[in-house]
Amino acid sequence: MDTPQVISTVQKKYILDLLKKGKRIDGRQFLQFRDVKINADIIPKAEGSAEAYLGESFIITGIKYEIGAPFPDSPDEGVATCMTEFIPFASPMFESGPPDIEAVEVARVVDRGIRHGDCIQYKELCIVPGEHVYILFVDMYVMNYAGNLIDTGTISAMTALLSTKLPKAKMEDGKVVWDGKYMTIPINQIPLSITFGKIEDYIFIDPILDEELVMDGKLSFASNEKGQIVSMQKSGEATWSEEDVVKCSKIAVQKLNELRNTLNLRQYTPKL
Amino acid sequence: MTLLIPETYPKKLIDKNGKRLDGRALDELRPFKCKIGVLANAHGSAYVEHGKNKIYAGVYGPREVHPRHLARPDKGILRVYYRMSSFSVHERKSPAPNRREREISKIIEDALAPTLFLELYPNSAIEIFVQVIAADGGTRCASTTAASLALADAGLPLKSLVAGVAAGKVDGKIILDCGDIEDKAGQADIPAAIRMTDEEYTLLQFDGEMTPEELETAISYVKKGAREIFAKQTAAIKEKFERIRQETDAENKKIGKTDINPDDDMLGDEDSMDMPLELEKGLERVKEDKTKSSDKSSKPEKEVNTLKEESK
Repeated sequence: MDTPQVISTVQKKYILDLLKKGKRIDGRQFLQFRDVKINADIIPKAEGSAEAYLGESFIITGIKYEIGAPFPDSPDEGVATCMTEFIPFASPMFESGPPDIEAVEVARVVDRGIRHGDCIQYKELCIVPGEHVYILFVDMYVMNYAGNLIDTGTISAMTALLSTKLPKAKMEDGKVVWDGKYMTIPINQIPLSITFGKIEDYIFIDPILDEELVMDGKLSFASNEKGQIVSMQKSGEATWSEEDVVKCSKIAVQKLNELRNTLNLRQYTPKL
Repeated sequence: MTLLIPETYPKKLIDKNGKRLDGRALDELRPFKCKIGVLANAHGSAYVEHGKNKIYAGVYGPREVHPRHLARPDKGILRVYYRMSSFSVHERKSPAPNRREREISKIIEDALAPTLFLELYPNSAIEIFVQVIAADGGTRCASTTAASLALADAGLPLKSLVAGVAAGKVDGKIILDCGDIEDKAGQADIPAAIRMTDEEYTLLQFDGEMTPEELETAISYVKKGAREIFAKQTAAIKEKFERIRQETDAENKKIGKTDINPDDDMLGDEDSMDMPLELEKGLERVKEDKTKSSDKSSKPEKEVNTLKEESK
C-alpha cells in the first residue's frame, strides 16, 4: 500500500537478480507493456479529454483552445502547447508547487512527439495567416505515479486530441466568429511512445515505479504509423551503445505498431 | 483571450411549472455518485460526481511537516490544497493557483478540522489534495464531501463525515444545490457543509441578497440535501469494505479456512494492548462521542428514509 520513496540496495539487488534470470519484479516479460485502459470525452467543458491508465500510472488530459496570434516564424500555422502537472496526491514524492524539471521533461517529450512526424496538420488550424490561428492547450494531469509517465502521457494526450471537437471559425466584419459548426483536429499520423529502462546491461520496456527508482537510465522513442522515429529522449546517467540504440529503435517501431493496432485510438474521434 | 462560443445564460431559470433548467424541483439534489479508494498511491482517496462536477481527493499523513517551522508541538496541522484543472471550466484557467483557490482551500480546512483528532498527531501534518477535473457550480461543497470521504478512506479516526451542498435563490425562489448557471446568474448562493453526527455547520458562506425568512428556508434545504449525500457517503464506505470482506472470504475458502468470524477481535483483549497514552485517550474520546451521539447519529438516516418515502 505504501509507495516506496527510497529503494534499498537490497531491493535493487533483488530486481537485478530477477533480470539476470530473465524475469521482472511484476512478472512481465522484458518487452511487454502493462495493460492500457482508456476513457475518452470525460470532461464536459473541455473541447477534448481522456483518462489513460498504463498499469497503475494514471493521467488525465484535457484540451482547451483559444484564438490568438501565430508565431512570427510560422504565420500560417496553428499552435499546440503541452503542459504536465504532477498532482501531489499522485505520489508521496510529489510536492505542491510549480512543475519541477521532471514534469517539464514529460511535457516536452510528449510535445515533440506530436509536433513532428506529420501528426497535427497545423496549417489547417490557421484562420487568417499572420493574424488569427487556433492555439491548443494540451494539459496533462498526473493522477497516480507508478512509473513511465512519458508513455502514459502520450497515450492520454493523443486520445484527448483525437476526441476533440473545436468550434469552426469564420471571418465576419473583420472579426473572428463561430460559424455554427464544429470540426475535429486534423491529425494525419498518430505517434505513440515507448520507454526503455536500463539497469547495468539489462534493457526492458515500460518500467514500473520500483524499476524506475533503481534503474541507471532510460531512453524513449516515439514513432508514427509510417514506421518513422519522430522523437527520442535519453535521460538518466546510463550510457547507450550504438548497437543498443539501433536495436531499441527497431523494437520501438514494431512494438508501437502492435500497441497502436490494439488501442485503435481513431475510435475516439467524435462524429460531427 | 478570444473564444468562439461565449458563455450565455437564459433569462428565466425557472419555468412556469416551477421546474428548473435541468428539470429539477426547487428542493431537488443533482445526481450524486461517490467512490472511495480510487487512487493507488494516496493513503486515502475519493472520487465524487455531483451533477457534472468531477472531483478527486487524496490524503497523505500524518507525516512530516514541510517546511519544519509550520509544525506545532501540541497538535497536528491539517492542510488542504484545492485546485481546479485548467480544462475544468469554459475559459481555460491558468494552472498557477489563484486567490480563489487559496481561500477555498482554507475554508475546506476549517470545515474538516473539527472532525479530526488533531491532538493525536503533534509535529505532523495531514494533507488533503483536491483536484477538480470538471466544474459545474458548487465545487467547494462537493470538494468538502470528497475530502471528508478521503479522510475516512485513509483510516484516520473521525468524529463525523462532512457533507457539502449549496442553496441559493434564482428568479426570486429558494433552491437547493445550485447548478453552474444558477450559481452564476442567480440572486444568491449559500455554499455550506454539515458535520453529520451533530448536524452543525462547518462551512458556511453567502453571496447575494436574501431576507432572514428566505435564509431559513435555504438552510433547511441544505440540511435535507446534506442528509441525502451523507447516506451515499456511508454507502460508498460500506461498499468498499463489503468488497474487501468478500475477497477475504473467497481467499479463506481457497486456503480451506471457513470458520472465521470477521467480528472476532483479532487483536485479542483490548485492555491488555500496549498503547501510547495519547492514542488511548483519543480512542476513549471516540467511544464517548459514539455513545453520546448514538441516538443522534441514527436519526439522520431515519429521516433520509422518510424523505425518500415522501418523494415516492
